[in-house]
Amino acid sequence: MNLRRFALVLLFFPIFSWAMSLSQALDEIPIQNAGRIKPFSTFAQESLQLIYGKSKYNGKDATEIVFTWILIPDQWMNTPIIELRHAGLKEALKIEMPASERHITAQALFANERVPLILQELNTLRGRQEKLNPYYQAVQRLESQLGLFQAIRSGEAIRLVPDPESDTWKSVPELEGEMREAFTAVARGFVDSIVKSSGSNNPQASPELETAVREFMDKAKAQAPEKYADMEKISLEHHLNRFHPFMWAWIAYLAGLIVLVANQMSAQTWSRFTAFAFLYLGFALHLYGMLIRSYIAGRPPVTNMYETVVWVPWASVLFGFILERFKKDKLLLMAASSVAVLCLILTDLAPTVLDKSIHPLEPVLRSNFWLLTHVLIINLGYAAFFLAFALGDVLLFLFLKDEKRFAQTIQTGAHSIYRSLQIGVVLLAAGTILGGVWADYSWGRFWGWDPKETWALISLLGYLALLHGRLVGWVKNFELAAGAVVTFSLIIMAWYGVNFVLGAGLHSYGFGAGGVEYVSGFVVVHILYVAYVSTVRYQRLKNQTR
Amino acid sequence: MTKWTDRLLKFLASLKLAVFVLISLAVISAVGTVVEARYNDAFVAQKLVYHSGYMYFIMGLLCINLIAVMVDRWPWRQRHTGFVLAHVGIVILLIGSWVTQRYGIDGSMAFQIGESVRHVTVPERDLTVIASLDGSTFNTIFESETDFLRDPPDAKNPFIVQLGADQLKIVEYHHFAYRESQIIKSALESDGPAVRFQLANPNVNLSEWLRRDLTKAESQVDLGPARIVLARQMPSPTGRNEIFLVVPDKSRKLRYAIYNKDKTLRAKGELKESDTIETGWMGLKFRILRFLPNAREEVRFIPAPRSTPATTSAFRFEFRGKEYWLGLNSVTRLYLEDRVYFISYGNRRLELSFPLTLKQFRVGTYQGTARAASYESEVEVPGRGQVLISMNEPLKHEGFTFYQSSFERNEKGEPVISILSVNHDPGRGLKYLGSFMIVLGSIILFYFRGTTIFGIRVRGVKK
Repeated sequence: MNLRRFALVLLFFPIFSWAMSLSQALDEIPIQNAGRIKPFSTFAQESLQLIYGKSKYNGKDATEIVFTWILIPDQWMNTPIIELRHAGLKEALKIEMPASERHITAQALFANERVPLILQELNTLRGRQEKLNPYYQAVQRLESQLGLFQAIRSGEAIRLVPDPESDTWKSVPELEGEMREAFTAVARGFVDSIVKSSGSNNPQASPELETAVREFMDKAKAQAPEKYADMEKISLEHHLNRFHPFMWAWIAYLAGLIVLVANQMSAQTWSRFTAFAFLYLGFALHLYGMLIRSYIAGRPPVTNMYETVVWVPWASVLFGFILERFKKDKLLLMAASSVAVLCLILTDLAPTVLDKSIHPLEPVLRSNFWLLTHVLIINLGYAAFFLAFALGDVLLFLFLKDEKRFAQTIQTGAHSIYRSLQIGVVLLAAGTILGGVWADYSWGRFWGWDPKETWALISLLGYLALLHGRLVGWVKNFELAAGAVVTFSLIIMAWYGVNFVLGAGLHSYGFGAGGVEYVSGFVVVHILYVAYVSTVRYQRLKNQTR
Repeated sequence: MTKWTDRLLKFLASLKLAVFVLISLAVISAVGTVVEARYNDAFVAQKLVYHSGYMYFIMGLLCINLIAVMVDRWPWRQRHTGFVLAHVGIVILLIGSWVTQRYGIDGSMAFQIGESVRHVTVPERDLTVIASLDGSTFNTIFESETDFLRDPPDAKNPFIVQLGADQLKIVEYHHFAYRESQIIKSALESDGPAVRFQLANPNVNLSEWLRRDLTKAESQVDLGPARIVLARQMPSPTGRNEIFLVVPDKSRKLRYAIYNKDKTLRAKGELKESDTIETGWMGLKFRILRFLPNAREEVRFIPAPRSTPATTSAFRFEFRGKEYWLGLNSVTRLYLEDRVYFISYGNRRLELSFPLTLKQFRVGTYQGTARAASYESEVEVPGRGQVLISMNEPLKHEGFTFYQSSFERNEKGEPVISILSVNHDPGRGLKYLGSFMIVLGSIILFYFRGTTIFGIRVRGVKK
């Protein structure tokens, strides 16, 4: 064990008992899947997430569950584990199950005569490359669920041994000779461990299982050492799966936020110190998670929706810290930590929309230089506007409470918004132009009116209108706060809407589905909030002048 | 200066106009993205929105506004540095874009491995009519760029091409249409035979048309379990399950032969419509549904709501009382007593001064998958030898830049056709200069002038 790994284990593994759980024994076996090599725990979590819709099954680890799919497939055929939620699809399949019931057995689906017909329809649509509506997106998910479950059950998806002759690793049914025996030993050790800890909900790995796994991995590596996994990356990735740095980060941010809010009421130095300690801790954990992820993936963490939803709030907090140094504006950190808590909780709550698996990139994206410059900078711009948006929210609240009493806070808050907007405008302009330069360099087209770049331009125009209005005094503190909130809708459109609502254009590699109702709800609620505060304030001002 | 010119300058330089322009630009652009999503086609959005009159008007207004505001601030002081840089930058960027739009070339080039190509296909579409009196000399008698997307011809407002005393009238146009073809009986001896057959057992039921042009010796269809061939003379077996259908030229008889995988003859004889024969493969029965000794293909186009890879553009025209359909990038012939007209409608091709030869094309995949990780073309450039073009690594040659854009696979899934995008952009330098000035100007404007960060007064806060 090398030093770095040892240090990590010491630092981050809250190990209460030294005995290994069943899952832990198997977690770090490398598996080739979806174009890269990953730890078995990642594969198991992704598979369970897709098929069952959760990363655990009845409180049991994905690793353990998925491994039993290989060992006792028949039993799992008759257990309801395939998540099926789309009402229209249930109806099309003539499946009658209560609305509260979300899972169905694989057996029922394989036996259903309508499944092949519906999959055929999906294929026809795909052949015509038509955009899929939510119903067919559900069919597509069902297809992947059944396909993956079948491939795991048969062992075809379980590619554990490198092949010196091919780029494709050997799957379980393809194993021969000593590799086959080594795998059988693992399977036997696994079953024995369950039998030994009979009845226990948390079976322990027997020493035989641990030895069998170690020997299996050694032998697999010996097949083609240069093709085998980088074990350091494997354990780091496994560590990321277990440790959830982003979850701890939002907990720390939330603690900091609570102390900050409490601090508003009674200004005491200790609470300020505590708030900062929590925020710095959250910030560090957040950074730590992103660094590990970048190291594993070998690229900056801005290549899909999930990654940007993690990266943007980090940058918001960073801007919050920097601006706070100069402005001494307490609202800044409150706003920044709210952004971070919101985004990071979202990544935990919506795993199907914000898919966190590390996928191989489309060929055109495989340029770390351009990813770093164009994408990272654009997202830095989003971060600055997000901060301004959250500040706007807080400021509107103060306007609603008592404009006069908080006049000083509002004034500094408005300065912070103005400053954030300036940072955002420069970054978004620079990032968009760099996108043009990249497009020019790779496609020969500086500006092609691609929806993603067009919406970046629209956001930029919106914010420029706001800043220009500020110059001549049309936009005062209140309008600035309201504008920061409303104009952020354009960023949401550029960031999320183009990929998830419009679904067109060259940036199709970032496309996904889901969550539209929640995101539009978020936008609508904020617009209503602005409208409400504006009305109340207008009435108040009218009464005062009277 | 008189008073009204003063006032006009004030208005043109005003922030009111600036904010109006900014918001209008934003709204038009937003409409464009919706149009693109609606039609699933970037070209339509560009034609209908981004390069529309409204857009050009607003862009013009933006330039006037920017120039006016700088005239208004004359003489410039040092404190104007950021302001001037950013605003002049925008004007330069717009001029650069205009130069690109006006004088640039943005096309594509597709070739198979081993093929040599020296032309670039561009999005502009031309309608061309070529006449031939004797079949050996050809005269172009009509050539024009068509923009049917913006101004589609219809029965009330047809697009007319005068051909001598006759009129070619384009009366219907669809930018997105599905091609549908139908095989119908023909009275002409010059049209070849066609057969519609069925191959069925309890699990499989396939029916297909097979038609042969008299110019070709055979045509075939591969149905997976079996290969069906319609030929002039009996072909020899190739070692697959095969059914040969033979109709000699000008004959009205249909003979057949069935061969197994081991090249042994299973059966042969003559067939009529609705005859059925046992193939012996998985209980499959082969049945002749229709047999036409002379048949032709009738093509029509059905409008589609949006673009898909299966759609193309097409128009319908009338000539001497008859109707014809013509799809994009195809040619149709009109036979008259003394001459032939070739009507062609397609993307314009520009000749390059040098050919490019595709030597090799490779697709790299992610381990254990068929997912493309990279693709690259090895091309032969005259005077430079072999050059590698890959994603993010274009080739520059004689003012043109060649970018790896995509590729196509054959039926077996092997990548065989490489598609490059080809570009010539005289506005590039201006656009880069403008961009640089905008970014630099904004940084100076926002960070080095009147900020609290550097202890100077806050600007932009008026009570």
